[in-house]
Amino acid sequence: MLLRASGTISGQELDLRAITDPRAAAASGIGHAAALVRFVDASVAEDSDELVAARAALRTAVGPAGLVDAAAVVGNFERMTRIADATGIALDAPVEMMSADFRETLGLEGFASAAQTPRSGRLRNRVAGVLRGLGFGLLRLSGRRRRAR
Amino acid sequence: MTTAMSPFAYAGSPDPIRDDLVAGHRRAWERLAHPGTWLDGAERVAVAMEVRAALGCTLCRARRAALSPYAVAGNHDSASGLAPALTDAIHRITTDAGRITRKLVDDLAAAGIDDATYVEAIGIVTQVLSIDACHRALGLPLEPLPEPVPGAPRRRRPTAAAAEGAFVPMVKAGRLDPEDRDLYGGRVTGNVIRALSLVPAEVRALRDLSAAQYLDETEMRRLGSSRALDRAQIELVAGRLSALRECFY
Repeated sequence: MLLRASGTISGQELDLRAITDPRAAAASGIGHAAALVRFVDASVAEDSDELVAARAALRTAVGPAGLVDAAAVVGNFERMTRIADATGIALDAPVEMMSADFRETLGLEGFASAAQTPRSGRLRNRVAGVLRGLGFGLLRLSGRRRRAR
Repeated sequence: MTTAMSPFAYAGSPDPIRDDLVAGHRRAWERLAHPGTWLDGAERVAVAMEVRAALGCTLCRARRAALSPYAVAGNHDSASGLAPALTDAIHRITTDAGRITRKLVDDLAAAGIDDATYVEAIGIVTQVLSIDACHRALGLPLEPLPEPVPGAPRRRRPTAAAAEGAFVPMVKAGRLDPEDRDLYGGRVTGNVIRALSLVPAEVRALRDLSAAQYLDETEMRRLGSSRALDRAQIELVAGRLSALRECFY
């Protein structure tokens, strides 16, 4: 959801499918997305040759400092995902409401850990749709103001 | 392998490592070595040893390949003298966290290991794993583990920790003990931050390391980034990693 929100506030239309489909990365609207996705994939897969190549490609694309940032974020989310899974937490209610549409589009509902978050009813989904429109509308406005400064 | 020398020198890194990341990793290693809330320094370092052992563990590999993680029995390739049930939990968190269920916490309880010890172990496992993953991604050797610092654990359980539907009890923002008022930065916060609140020191550790590896909480809320990567790039890395780990949260 933070990827979508960061796009909204910066006035960019981002293709969130880059998260689940590497083929969508290049045209996602995110700078050097294909190199970033390749690097993440290589970090998770235990293929050292591919990781060496992906690291070199990302260094060329975003520079050494960008590469270090990407590796640190990889490390951080290896942590956050395991904390969420090992403690069995549910998705926070506001996040659940704001992300319902793209969770379905991206197929995230199929993950085993989704079972920890109760499914919303039809009425709640309708309310969530309205709140989502309102929430992202406010973010767009906030982003415009920020960029105008 | 353990060391008492100044850790995280990054002398051999071809890429300059920013100072706040070095400092964050050093603080994490210092926390790892010291007595915690339920585990002493030696036990905490032993948990870290198991994290590294788990990645080459034959049983873990067989379980990952099985339809159910409980379908394969056996002994872990263990690197410490920790209790078998705790060792099993550490290996599962490290190698197959997406398939952990409440059964794991129940099995630990049956073996005499309470939920707070489990939460502290989650904090240690994920801290070590996180720093190791960063090193692997950069092609750097893993940092030797620190020498444990003697001393007894504090043994303090938050008074208002309560079941909320997760596998472990958590503490709501408005119900923190006086000494934990700083825990969520004075705000209502997300479940992933509250997840470890049964052991407040592990929440502080989580926030500290996340500020160095990801973003500090002010930047997180403002949807900005002062890093070399812009915010969308950072969130793409976070989102892709989470999807590969099949983490719904």
